Amino acid sequence: MPDILRNVIVETAWPAALLIAWLAGELGQRWFRLPRISSYGLAGFVLAAAQGGFLPDPADGSMALLADVAFGLILFELGYRINLGWLRANPWIGVTSVVEAAGSFAAVFVVAQWFEMPMVPALMLAAIAMSTSPAVVVRVLNETRSSGQVTERTLHLSAFNCALAVVVFKFVLGYWMLAGTGTVLGAVWNSLVVLVVSAALGVSFGAAIPALLRIVGGAERNVTLVFAVAALLLVAVTHALKFSPLLATLAFGLMARHRRVALSQAQRNFGVLGDILTLMLFVFVTATLDWRQVMAGFQMALVVIAVRMAAKLAATTLFAYVSGVSWHKGFLTGLALTPLSVFAILLLEQTRHLGLTLIDEVAALAGIVLILEVVGPLATRWAVVWAGEAPAAREG
Amino acid sequence: MALEAFKTSAPLTMGVELELQLVNPTDFDLSASSPDLLHLLERKSFPGDVKPEIAESMIEVATGIHTRHDELLAQLREIRAALLEVGDRLNVAMCGGGTHPFQRWFHQRIFAKPRYRQVSALYGYLAKQFTVFGQHVHIGCPSGDEALFLLHALNRYVPHFIALSGSSPYSQGVDTLFDSARLNSVFAFPLSGRAPFVLEWSAFEHGYFAKLEKTGVVTSMKDFYWDIRPKPEFGTIELRVCDTPLTVERAAALACYLQALCRMLLARKEDPPAEDDYLVYNYNRFQACRFGLDGSLIHPGTGETISLREDILATLRRIEPDAIMLDSQAALDEIRAVVHGAGNDASFLRRCHAREGSLESVVESAIGCFRKGGE
Repeated sequence: MPDILRNVIVETAWPAALLIAWLAGELGQRWFRLPRISSYGLAGFVLAAAQGGFLPDPADGSMALLADVAFGLILFELGYRINLGWLRANPWIGVTSVVEAAGSFAAVFVVAQWFEMPMVPALMLAAIAMSTSPAVVVRVLNETRSSGQVTERTLHLSAFNCALAVVVFKFVLGYWMLAGTGTVLGAVWNSLVVLVVSAALGVSFGAAIPALLRIVGGAERNVTLVFAVAALLLVAVTHALKFSPLLATLAFGLMARHRRVALSQAQRNFGVLGDILTLMLFVFVTATLDWRQVMAGFQMALVVIAVRMAAKLAATTLFAYVSGVSWHKGFLTGLALTPLSVFAILLLEQTRHLGLTLIDEVAALAGIVLILEVVGPLATRWAVVWAGEAPAAREG
Repeated sequence: MALEAFKTSAPLTMGVELELQLVNPTDFDLSASSPDLLHLLERKSFPGDVKPEIAESMIEVATGIHTRHDELLAQLREIRAALLEVGDRLNVAMCGGGTHPFQRWFHQRIFAKPRYRQVSALYGYLAKQFTVFGQHVHIGCPSGDEALFLLHALNRYVPHFIALSGSSPYSQGVDTLFDSARLNSVFAFPLSGRAPFVLEWSAFEHGYFAKLEKTGVVTSMKDFYWDIRPKPEFGTIELRVCDTPLTVERAAALACYLQALCRMLLARKEDPPAEDDYLVYNYNRFQACRFGLDGSLIHPGTGETISLREDILATLRRIEPDAIMLDSQAALDEIRAVVHGAGNDASFLRRCHAREGSLESVVESAIGCFRKGGE
């Protein structure tokens, strides 16, 4: 192949893949009533080089940063929709969150041990399993325009379990460094310092940007733009410093919300910018997967998914009544918490610079990501539809 | 189905219904939360009555039957406390106000109840546009004839209630320039406006209603969206022009203003109502909707113009003795304060918007008003 042709293919690979993924999304929706983001993920997987497609391995290069940006915007929006005052008014929400996250961790850790996985990968897998992918949750809930208790609880529990997952994950990382290299500094730096600094960066953005908006004025006009740009900057900074963009942007959203500069309806998903970045994000995530990894850990993947779901369903159902909803809605909240993929992959991407390629070590993870990439959005959508909270979903 | 007999009830008893907005405390948009709220409310006793409304982002509460201002207010406060407690547990905020400032009518979800589904199918977008929030006040009447007399005698005072309660300046994201934009939504319905000028219950029942029923246009009193309508099964007339005020205190004051007014009217101290009163009815009503307390009224007989504010103050003076008998001077004091200085809720909301600059903050302040009471 002449060089010029190869260059053309390399340079057009991503835009072309996005177009194909978009088409897959529309057709999947029309023919199989599959949520669009499920199809985006499937397209990304099929088009990846590992599967013989034309997409280069996205992990190296600028795509990882772009994915972080896309996810940063979503996490900001999620943070912005969280009301911490609710925890005070209804402590059972907090109890549910801690129990479902801890339950997922414990259940998955036991399974990993049972499959004779080494300690550190097992702990990391368990930490990842705590989380619910905010990308999927926010996207599906916005698309279906759902509102009600299942919707609200899913958003809140997802934000909380992600924050918990990052914290636990970073501590496991610290433990791994301590056990491996024996350097206390490295361990503390990569766990405690990273966590605290990331959160502090997010919080300071959350305090500074609304204050800036108030000085400049024109809140209704400028709010989307300035928050998007600020999230961009925050991701770039944390990415460059090898901190956690996930925690930072979530903290940014949370803080900004509690500083009360209202984000109006029209700005959900950050408009078309958000749409493009979401499309890219979902293609990116599955393009990192290799079918050989998927096949290798498939059996374990199924077991992990099952026990994780069981833990989440049990917790949300168990505390349904005391927290003020019907058993039915409690159960459906657990179901809506199924998605996992995006969060897991991005969390792992951030460990690459430490020389830890967890996706190779944790055989089951590729399978889990791929399965939940397709099933997760469906589960969340079914949950809100069955709860009667999303009549719009019928038209897709 | 013929109209049921007019049930006798003690004169000047009153009951209040409030349609409230359910709001998401994060983005301040309406939140389709009434099924969740009702589920939780069912678990314990509620100090009044609560039921779903046509859209899932509305909830309607009703008091029992009262004769005294302080007792009515006490029950409204208990109802508020019960609602707030449940709302806090479910992360749902509540507020008064005749419209939600920026909700989009096409996003509203119709509550799953056969009657609402039928209404929705019949009226199409009107039904969803009907996501507006009103206060209804029932006044007990000893007979159907008395009810119709009172209903028509009140026609000159309808603008007072519109102007005093006006709390819907914003609709679909813009300032409508009206103090009560809500009534414009109600006016779109074919059977809205004034009741026909009939003063005997038997003539209303066998003449007007029976004839209309035969045409198939109506099947019950529920099909009328009149400003004031008789409610034979309760033995009351129901004033329906008020926007839901931002506070339950204001709601109780409006109810007792009506009660004292009815007491004065029932003493037959004024000229009896006449069909000609209605010549200026829609004009005066428009003035109150559009300009609130700054509007002006035209007297149907003399044709002279008088400011709404003046007319309310004069009425307050006239019904003072009735308020003393009913022990409701506190309510009249609140009404007087609205007319004199504080202004209605619409002007409060506009001031808030001018200060904060966003419609979300308007909703936030309405939430605060409902929770704390007073301004």
